[in-house]
Amino acid sequence: MPEILVTLYEVLKRTYPGFLDAVVITLQLTAVGVVLGCLLGLFFALLKLSKSKPLQWIANIYITVIRGTPLIVQITFLYFGIVEFVTLSNFWAGAIALGVHNGAYIAEIFRGAIQGIDKGQSEASSSLGMSKTQTMKRIVFPQALKRSIPPLGNQFIIALKDSSLVYVIGVAELFSIANREAAQSFQPFETYLVVGLYYLVLVMIFSFLLRLYENKLDVDKD
Amino acid sequence: MLTAKNIHKSFGELEVLKGIDLQVEPQEVVVLVGVSGSGKSTLLRCFNFLEMINSGEIIIDGKQINGKKDNLNKIRAEVGMVFQHFNLFPHKTVLENIIEAPIQVKKKKKADAIKHAKQLLEKVGLSDKADVYPSKLSGGQKQRVAIARSLAMEPKVMLFDEPTSALDPELVSEVLAVMKQLAEEGMTMVVVTHEMRFAKEVADRIIMLDEGRIIESADPKTFFENPSHDRTRQFIQLVE
Ligand SMILES: Nc1ncnc2c1ncn2[C@@H]1O[C@H](COP(=O)(O)OP(=O)(O)OP(=O)(O)O)[C@@H](O)[C@H]1O
Ligand SMILES: [Mg+2]
Repeated sequence: MPEILVTLYEVLKRTYPGFLDAVVITLQLTAVGVVLGCLLGLFFALLKLSKSKPLQWIANIYITVIRGTPLIVQITFLYFGIVEFVTLSNFWAGAIALGVHNGAYIAEIFRGAIQGIDKGQSEASSSLGMSKTQTMKRIVFPQALKRSIPPLGNQFIIALKDSSLVYVIGVAELFSIANREAAQSFQPFETYLVVGLYYLVLVMIFSFLLRLYENKLDVDKD
Repeated sequence: MLTAKNIHKSFGELEVLKGIDLQVEPQEVVVLVGVSGSGKSTLLRCFNFLEMINSGEIIIDGKQINGKKDNLNKIRAEVGMVFQHFNLFPHKTVLENIIEAPIQVKKKKKADAIKHAKQLLEKVGLSDKADVYPSKLSGGQKQRVAIARSLAMEPKVMLFDEPTSALDPELVSEVLAVMKQLAEEGMTMVVVTHEMRFAKEVADRIIMLDEGRIIESADPKTFFENPSHDRTRQFIQLVE
């Protein structure tokens, strides 16, 4: 067996207990980030679709600022901004930063999906006497949500990879642990190769699940 | 039942309705015709406040409607509307489409709503389709479900905007048959259609809209045989 494979195997074997713990933290960061991102995204999508100009501006400013600045700047800015005022663990500071970041992209996903629903749907609903809120909640939103799931899945994958940037504020997620390991072991090449594999496998698992779900949608398509 | 007094409606600079006066009696079936762009859809949409009139009055069942003050949802519930493109809710089954508004708007009990929905499905000849999704239906079936969905709110007036225009020719008659039956049962109806046979057989009155004005209003026989306006004569030649 070539020597590199042997060393890789050894690094894998040595690091996996720590790395698997770190994977859990990475997944937690991602999950919190995406859930929070969905809530923020929904909120700002509704602001953007509202009839009020000031509310639209607020949403536009949020989306423009978040999409126009690097995530790593947002993470550090939010971290030092937040810990000035409240005590918050690094994990939660990082998760909130990821949530705020993803919210801007998810807002656009939701807005596109809601706008993509045929106007006839809300007209039919109104013509039956349903209020605007009922129409949104029961007719437009369920259809929009279904259409949002594939792009949301992609956003989840992006968030999973982006969560590595939270290493800058010292959260013990996968990439931080890899950094530490690389420095201690004097095997940076093998260590980063291994951590890359971890991310790749996670992304592939999730892509697979997403594809299963999309196929299911196609099957009971209505 | 439904009265319009001097209705004006503009979209920006474009004045689409230029003073419409119309009175629809209870149980009357009025067919609305006119060339494309004459304002037929706009007029119907004003009647159930999908569009807001700029001036004039709309009186429904003796009550003058103020677009700003009144609860428009409540009024819309009393005016059924059937659209050219059906607009069924694709994420709900046929039955769920029909019981949605009675439960949400009228706060009917689910069991009662289902019972009524099943009667309506039987009436439009689709009892066996209660649990399928709209995507599994033909155009004609979709439109019959849409009619049943409107009827479930027990409206006082039904508005139809070209209900058969999006259908394959062989599916038109099943929808018209349901509408004819409704008319015979005494439903007040305003129907925009190009189906002149339906107009002749079912309408109590045919109204011709031209550039936002009513230029002809007559019983079918007079309308077709002795119209008062040149434009009407041209229109009849065009459609026959
Ligand atoms: N929401 C809108 N905004 C701007 N213009 C509109 C709008 N709706 C309708 N119009 C215009 O108003 C005019 C009348 O339209 P309307 O749809 O009422 O005509 P119609 O008689 O129903 O025609 P058709 O037979 O093609 O359905 C058209 O010139 C149309 O372009
Ligand atoms: Mg029209």
